[in-house]
Amino acid sequence: MPFWYDSRMDLLAHLEAYVAAVDEASFSRAAERLGIAQPLLSRRIKTLETHFEGQLFDRSRRQVATTELGVLLLPYARDVLDRAQRLRHVARSARRSAACGVGVPADCGPAALARVIRAGVEHGTALGMRELPPAEREAGLADSSLAYALVRVPPEHAPLRVPLGLASAPSETPDGARPASPEDRPRTRRRTVHLEDLRPRRVGGAGHRRTAAVPILTTVEDHVGYAQDRLRRAVARAGLPEATVRSAGPMATALAETLAGQATLLCAEPFARQHGARWAALGDTSLHRGYDLRAAHRGRGPAKVPQWLCALLATAVGAAPDEPTAAVARAVGEDGRSRLAAHG
Amino acid sequence: MPGPACVADDADLFDVAEAIAAEWAALGVRGSFLARHIDTGEQLGFDVEESVPLASVAKVPLALVALDRIATGELDAARPVLVDPATSSVGPTGLAAFRHPATVAVGDLLLLMLSVSDNAAADTLFGLVPAEQVDTRLRAWGCTGIRLRHRLNRMYECAAGAAGNDFSLALELAIRDDHSGRHTIEMLDPAHANVGTATGLVDLLQRVWRDDIAHPDATAELRRVMGHQVFTHRLASELRADTLRVSGKTGTFLHLRHEIGVVESEVGDRVAMAALTRSDRRANLAPDIDLVIGTSARLAFEALRR
Repeated sequence: MPFWYDSRMDLLAHLEAYVAAVDEASFSRAAERLGIAQPLLSRRIKTLETHFEGQLFDRSRRQVATTELGVLLLPYARDVLDRAQRLRHVARSARRSAACGVGVPADCGPAALARVIRAGVEHGTALGMRELPPAEREAGLADSSLAYALVRVPPEHAPLRVPLGLASAPSETPDGARPASPEDRPRTRRRTVHLEDLRPRRVGGAGHRRTAAVPILTTVEDHVGYAQDRLRRAVARAGLPEATVRSAGPMATALAETLAGQATLLCAEPFARQHGARWAALGDTSLHRGYDLRAAHRGRGPAKVPQWLCALLATAVGAAPDEPTAAVARAVGEDGRSRLAAHG
Repeated sequence: MPGPACVADDADLFDVAEAIAAEWAALGVRGSFLARHIDTGEQLGFDVEESVPLASVAKVPLALVALDRIATGELDAARPVLVDPATSSVGPTGLAAFRHPATVAVGDLLLLMLSVSDNAAADTLFGLVPAEQVDTRLRAWGCTGIRLRHRLNRMYECAAGAAGNDFSLALELAIRDDHSGRHTIEMLDPAHANVGTATGLVDLLQRVWRDDIAHPDATAELRRVMGHQVFTHRLASELRADTLRVSGKTGTFLHLRHEIGVVESEVGDRVAMAALTRSDRRANLAPDIDLVIGTSARLAFEALRR
């Protein structure tokens, strides 16, 4: 064990006692200044003298006098205490200025994220929004590089549900409204898109030509194992070729293709609206997105997620406010047994 | 992955075979195709020697052997047979879908089996002419490339045994095993299933249409009954005209979608075909795969006819 260090001894507290006693030229005043009992102060100084193997104070006179050794060590002791103080300051200010990383999907609206940041300031927490793919958001929570993240979970178990739909080219009229019907009937029906409706039509007559199904582009936010499996199966069951679904690649290109009417983009409604595309929700809600706002582990368990943050992020991500209707996929008029048999 | 091995009798036909193979590949369809002009013998196709589980296509060789027995007087077409749903085979059509016992003549079982792919009718016939006897007869006729080993309901039993009446799971297993070559569903293993090659099946159709096999009454009756098939979504889908006639038999089981048949024109062209497909499509219905069998049949017929 090095002579100057004993793990049972709080060096800083002992140095504090020594420096205070020199400054005050009195053990009792020093104890008072430090807010400790005088016997404790005396004991600390004694321990320190044992460790430095020499007297720091001459106790033979009525007035406490500093020995030669005591004078020699004093600037070094002050230096150690100053540095320890600075260390505490730096740690405190770092704690105050560091932003809490929040992992969010790449397609959140900037205005909604700005509201989250402002709310953070009001609640005394600096929040930094980090746009990340789903897997990296989970990894960020695991290694604590993120304080909070929206984690993808299957929609049926999700606290936050985001309706997914297909963005497509806007209609011809400039404001996006469809031309008024001659009889001026109101258009109030909310359109839902069903995958089987996307099958190419077999056109009869002179235009006897089968057009290929319009591709469905998927963004990295939906490249999540279970979600891809579900979409692939749903596309197959809807009678669409597998190649109908493909990865969108760069977002600008994907949006351009979509707005030009050559593709549809799988996305949430706010994102489609933001880019002037038409949008209709997928009828099959098991294909929608589900999110859970989770916090990084602190100590033993996951930290609590503030309620205000959850509410604002729900809006930013485009979560549906209402309770979802349970999506139970019913096979259409099937006879389970005979589907397993050979048939015609 | 190497492309399929195309066969054709001249460069033009070879191009058609390649075009069909490319269309199949674009849809993720694997398998064999063969079309042969019955009278000129000209043909085009690819991967024609691969042994494939036949599913309901196996009902054609069964019908031929049963009809031969009838023609030679060993079996009476008018003989009534009781088919009871409590014990008959599973299937979506014909007697297999009946809920009450019915008595049907042997000759009409053949019609039900080939027109609506009735599994109960087929297995009732297998009760009269066991699979081993059908297989022996086929070999005696020199039908290499076709093996009959089991009743139709064995396919249902194996699929349900492996997947417990869960169609999606059975399909998932079939697709996975198709890639690994290790078969959980025994009736998808070419070593245990009713199997045939495209060549073997087209040979059989060619001989049936040329009265070059079995008793001529049997081949005539088989041609007549095969003309009564109600399914037109595959081989016939692009050949529906009053001037054409398609006599076929489909076969569908999990990821398998087949059809064999003969296309005949008013002016006398006769082309026998076999389209045997597999795919990774996780769906019961795949209309584009059915349709590509139809477009392939049309391409081949128009290329081979004189």
